[in-house]
Amino acid sequence: MRRWLYFGIVVVLGVLFWWGLQRDPGELKSVLINKPAPDFELPVLPPYREQWGERFRFSDHIGQPILVNFWASWCYPACYEEAPILQAAWEKFQGKVLFIGVDTQDQEDKALEFLNLFGITYPQVFDPRGQVGIDYGTYGVPESFFIDAKGIIRSRFAGAISAEELEKRLLEVMR
Amino acid sequence: MRWLVLLLFSALALAQPLPGNEPPPDLSPRVFEIAAKLRCPVCQGESIAESNAAISQESRRQIAEMLAAGKSEQEILDYFVARYGEWILYAPPKKGVNWLLWFAPALGVLIIALALWRYLVEARRREALLGIDDKTLEEIERRLEEE
Repeated sequence: MRRWLYFGIVVVLGVLFWWGLQRDPGELKSVLINKPAPDFELPVLPPYREQWGERFRFSDHIGQPILVNFWASWCYPACYEEAPILQAAWEKFQGKVLFIGVDTQDQEDKALEFLNLFGITYPQVFDPRGQVGIDYGTYGVPESFFIDAKGIIRSRFAGAISAEELEKRLLEVMR
Repeated sequence: MRWLVLLLFSALALAQPLPGNEPPPDLSPRVFEIAAKLRCPVCQGESIAESNAAISQESRRQIAEMLAAGKSEQEILDYFVARYGEWILYAPPKKGVNWLLWFAPALGVLIIALALWRYLVEARRREALLGIDDKTLEEIERRLEEE
């Protein structure tokens, strides 16, 4: 009887250990999944003002799928790895999904250098304090939120996203 | 008299917080009290009050703004929970499965106490067996031989 009890304890601990090993620490579940995306209004960075105006209000653009990407020029190497992937996807999905870059806790001149380096053409807003990041419950940068046409957050990806993962998630919000 | 003044100043100096430990002058200690209840999202085992990460600095600023706007501590904590989930709280709320977390230490102590009690009872029993006086032992041996 006692032997079975010990055996049971070892099995339970083993299963817990295995379960822990299977968990991906990069997979951060957001509490905002399936909830409306928090609205924000931020200044547009100068190179994008001609097309997007002085200020960008998120809620004005609900009605189409939206990708909100939090980044910063100091976020090396993750944001540098991700930038060309995002730009390539923007060129492919432009007109079907709106991309918004939220430059978080950054300096404007450094941010403009970064955007110039990668030739980023999708709209960029500036959030030096990082208030919007906290509103979205971000852990750091880069982080991407995939929002459907109704303004509901469908998924969140923390870290530099791969081209395949990005396309998969964009197609999900376009459905 | 001079000694008395010197002593008084020394006592005052001792009463000051260590340099670097005091909250920055622009934020009230109340901000840090609330911030200490929230986990820094990008740190390992640090609260928003202790961490110097940019996100913690901004969170402290937001707490200060919410306090100035007349929000209560609970409203401020709820604001962060709505964005990060209960994970952000250092003390898990006492409900549902969380009760397990709160009771686990007491349960652990109880199990250890039970195991210790059983061990002591057993040890005492053995001691009682070993503690037989020589005369009785001889008697037992004699009887065993007879059998």
